[in-house]
Amino acid sequence: MEQFWKITLDLCVGFGETLKIFFITLAMALPLGLIISFGSMSKFKPLAFLTRGFVWIIRGTPLMLQLITVYYGPGLVFKQMLFTAPMAVYITFTINYACYFSEIYRGGIESITKGQYEAGQVLGMTRRETFFKVILLQVVKRIIAPMSNEIITLVKDTSLARVVTYYELIYFAQRYTKNAGLLWPLFYTAVYYLVFTAILTLLFRWLEKKLDYFKA
Amino acid sequence: MNMLEVKDLRKRFGDNEVLKGINLTLKKGEVLAIIGSSGGGKTTLLRCLNFLEKANSGEILVGGRSVYRATEGEKPEVTPEAQLSFGLVFQQFNLFPQYSVIENLMLAPKLRAKRKTTQGERETPEAIRERAEKLLATVGLSEKANAYPCQLSGGQQQRVAIARALMLSPDILCFDEPTSSLDPELTGEVLRVIRSLKSSDRTMIIVTHEMEFARHVADKVIFISDGIIEEQGTPEEVFGNPQSEKTKAFLSAGQKV
Ligand SMILES: Nc1ncnc2c1ncn2[C@@H]1O[C@H](COP(=O)(O)OP(=O)(O)O)[C@@H](O)[C@H]1O
Ligand SMILES: [Mg+2]
Repeated sequence: MEQFWKITLDLCVGFGETLKIFFITLAMALPLGLIISFGSMSKFKPLAFLTRGFVWIIRGTPLMLQLITVYYGPGLVFKQMLFTAPMAVYITFTINYACYFSEIYRGGIESITKGQYEAGQVLGMTRRETFFKVILLQVVKRIIAPMSNEIITLVKDTSLARVVTYYELIYFAQRYTKNAGLLWPLFYTAVYYLVFTAILTLLFRWLEKKLDYFKA
Repeated sequence: MNMLEVKDLRKRFGDNEVLKGINLTLKKGEVLAIIGSSGGGKTTLLRCLNFLEKANSGEILVGGRSVYRATEGEKPEVTPEAQLSFGLVFQQFNLFPQYSVIENLMLAPKLRAKRKTTQGERETPEAIRERAEKLLATVGLSEKANAYPCQLSGGQQQRVAIARALMLSPDILCFDEPTSSLDPELTGEVLRVIRSLKSSDRTMIIVTHEMEFARHVADKVIFISDGIIEEQGTPEEVFGNPQSEKTKAFLSAGQKV
C-alpha cells in the first residue's frame, strides 16, 4: 500500500511533465494557428499556396516522425544537436497543433457570413476592429466542438514525446517495469489521462453553455 | 446645395456591366425611393454608395465635396470620413448576434471614440449610451435594450439595425429593401419607423417594392432597369404619368399582383 502511494506521487511528477507539454503547446499553438489560418486565406496567392502546402505536410506526416526529425535531424546534418529534448518537443508539438488548429479556425472564419464584415465596414469600423470585436467570438462559438476534440487528442499525443527522451508520464511508469518488474504502473497511467480529459470535457461543456446566449 | 450628387457611376462584374452610368442628385432632407425589377442594379448602386463595392468609374459628392472619384483602371482608397457620410440598412439586418441591442448600437461609436486619429472632442461612453437610449426610443424598442438579436422578431431586428445606423449620424442613410425579408404583418412597423425618420435634415435613399410607401413618403422616385435610370421624378410624375414603356410595364405588372 505504501508502495502504491509512493508510485502514485512519483507518477504525478511524470504527469507534471506531460502537462508542461500540454499547456506550452496550447499557449503557443492557439495564436500561431490563427496566424497560419490568415496565411492560408491570404489574397496574396503565393502566401496562401505556401501556407497550405506547409499545413498539408505537417498534417500528412506522423507527429512521431516530426519529433525525430526536429530532435535528431540537425545532428545528422550539422553534426551538432540544435535542440534539447524539451525544446524539440515544444517546437514540434506547437507547429503540429498550430496546423491542425489553423484548419479549424479557417473553417470557422469562412463560415461567418460576409454581412457581418459589411455591417462593420458601413459602421466605420476598421477590418481589425470588425474581426476582433465581431467575428472572433462567433468563430469561437462555432469551433468549440472540433477544438475540444483536437485538444483532447493533444493530451494523449504528449506520450509520443518519450521517443526523443522527454521524460513524461509513460516514461516514468515504464521505469518501474524495467527496474522493479512492476507492470501495473504502466496501466495505472490511464487514470491520469482519464481524469484530465474528464476535466477538459467539463470545461468545454461549460464554455459551450457560456456562449449559449446567442445564436451564430 | 445638393446633399448628394452622383456623376456617371459605372460598375462592372467581370464583363457584366451592372451600372451603366448613374446620375442623380438629392437635396438635404429629401427621401429618394428607388424602384425596379430584380437584377436591375439597385442593390449594386447602394453598395457602391456605401463602398461595399467600388465603382469602376464616376464620382460621388456629398455636400458638394468629392468623396469618391474613380476613372477606368483606378479606384481610390475610401477615407473613414467618406465611409461615414453614408449609412446602410441591409435587407438581412446583419446585427451582431453576440451583443445585446444597446451594445449593437454602442459598439461602433465607442470604437470610433477610442481611435486615436479622431479629431476634436471624444464622445464619452455615457454620452454614447444616452444617444443609444434615445434612438431606441425613436424606433420604439426601449424595453428591448438588453435583449439579444435572436430574441427579437424580424421587424424588431430591422428597427434595431436602423437605430444602429443612425448612431453614426450619416449624411445619407440608405435602405436596401428593408422589409423584403420580413413577414407581411411585420413590414408595417418598419415602414412606420422609416417614415417617422423623415425630417428636414435627414436625407434617405430607400430601395423598395412597397409602391404605396414610395408614393407617400418619397420626394423623388427613380426607376432603374438594366443599370440605367429609366425614369425619374416626383412620385406623382413617376406613378401617375410614367413616360417610359418599361416603367409603365413594371408599374402595371405590380398593380396586378
Ligand atoms: N458580387 C457580384 N458579382 C457578380 N455579379 C453581381 C454581383 N452582385 C450583383 N451582381 C449582378 O449584378 C446584377 C444586378 O444585381 P443587383 O444590384 O443585386 O440588382 P437588384 O438589387 O436590382 O435586384 C445582377 O445581374 C447580379 O447578378
Ligand atoms: Mg437587390
